[in-house]
Amino acid sequence: MAIDFDRVEVKGLVKVYGATRALVGVDAAFDAGTVTVIEGPNGSGKTTLLDILGQLVRPTRGTVRYGDHEGKSRALRAQIGILAHAAMIYPDLSARENLHLFARLHRLDDPDARIGALVDRFEIGRWGERPARTYSRGQLQRLALARALMHAPRLLLLDEPSTGLDVRAVERLERAVEAERERGAIVVLITHDSALADRLAERRVRLRRGKVVKEKAA
Amino acid sequence: MRPFLAGTWAILAKEMRIELRTKEILVTAGLFGLLVTVLTSLAFFLDDDTARRIAPGVLWVSASFAGVLAMGRAWAREREADAIRGLLLAPIPRSCIYAGKTLGTLAFVLIIDAVLAPVVGILFRLNLATDLAPMALILVLGTVGYVAMGTLFAAMSVRTSARDLMLSVVLFPLASPGLVAGVVATREVLGGAPLSETVEWLRILGAFDLIAIVCGLVLFEPLMSD
Repeated sequence: MAIDFDRVEVKGLVKVYGATRALVGVDAAFDAGTVTVIEGPNGSGKTTLLDILGQLVRPTRGTVRYGDHEGKSRALRAQIGILAHAAMIYPDLSARENLHLFARLHRLDDPDARIGALVDRFEIGRWGERPARTYSRGQLQRLALARALMHAPRLLLLDEPSTGLDVRAVERLERAVEAERERGAIVVLITHDSALADRLAERRVRLRRGKVVKEKAA
Repeated sequence: MRPFLAGTWAILAKEMRIELRTKEILVTAGLFGLLVTVLTSLAFFLDDDTARRIAPGVLWVSASFAGVLAMGRAWAREREADAIRGLLLAPIPRSCIYAGKTLGTLAFVLIIDAVLAPVVGILFRLNLATDLAPMALILVLGTVGYVAMGTLFAAMSVRTSARDLMLSVVLFPLASPGLVAGVVATREVLGGAPLSETVEWLRILGAFDLIAIVCGLVLFEPLMSD
């Protein structure tokens, strides 16, 4: 059953790894059509928060509500897309083969049409027929963007997506994020690139030692 | 059931496509298994009687070492470029990631078994043709449980630093019931016993397979969620 939501809200989020307390009682909310930038020094819990939002990690305590829905489910995962520094693809497959695999896993109705649209949108040319192992950083990021947006997710999580990209690739990334925001997606972005954060952020949440220390509209 | 089968099939097809392209697992694990077989045959061959008694151990040691290498390599693919996160995020039952990976690795290890068994037969002067069916049955049953259990621990090792060490240290003790049953059943068959006399060992292998598969399907999601 397909589900939809306009807001993601976390309350009292705690995550403990052994003796390390990655998150200690985080409260925050993320709305549709809004880009929220999460800032903070290394080890402040940003990626842990993103992994919990993406249903990749269970919180030790606290709740995550996706609209009226709570807990983990396949229907919720179908509404989440993640783009990180690592491309989350198979380097021995070509761009098209990777996209076909993820289209099958998402059980899209017309995968060929969707892949064709993404290939055009992200200008995946003839190089897309080669194994992804041979791609430049910029080409890999285009493929990763296409993978993350394959299923038009309601919640788009971006973890340091601009690391290692040249100026043109960062501009392409910005355009993609803007397009997703205009589509009504809930966009959560982690970045150390303050210029990128300044251009994209509508809300900023600052974490330090697993706690929200500042939250404001940009 | 359909999402499970569709997800399993997609992941199995991906495994096959990558292996057909790279041949990485079959070549590395297969050559390693052959090397172990040849070296042990040179070290232990004394006479035909001794050879018949040693051959089952050589076959299973080679196959299990090659298997652990194959399982490690199969999951290294998921680690590279962090592809496993893409799979975990997909709206499929997470147990079908386990099922697809297990079936793929099982196919690779069975192919390696099919190469190793005749090589052991040649090096130890065994006439495997007469025992082909029972030998194949024992090898398949033994490999299914071994791979089913190994795939679960190899998946866990994706997120640990000493992954290859952990896989070997954890897997071999836990897989020992299946390995022991496989070695003894092979020894009985090569010693001339009819299949009916090895049926108890086959039952142990079957039970081990069932336990390994059920544990893998049930435990994969909670183990991969953190």
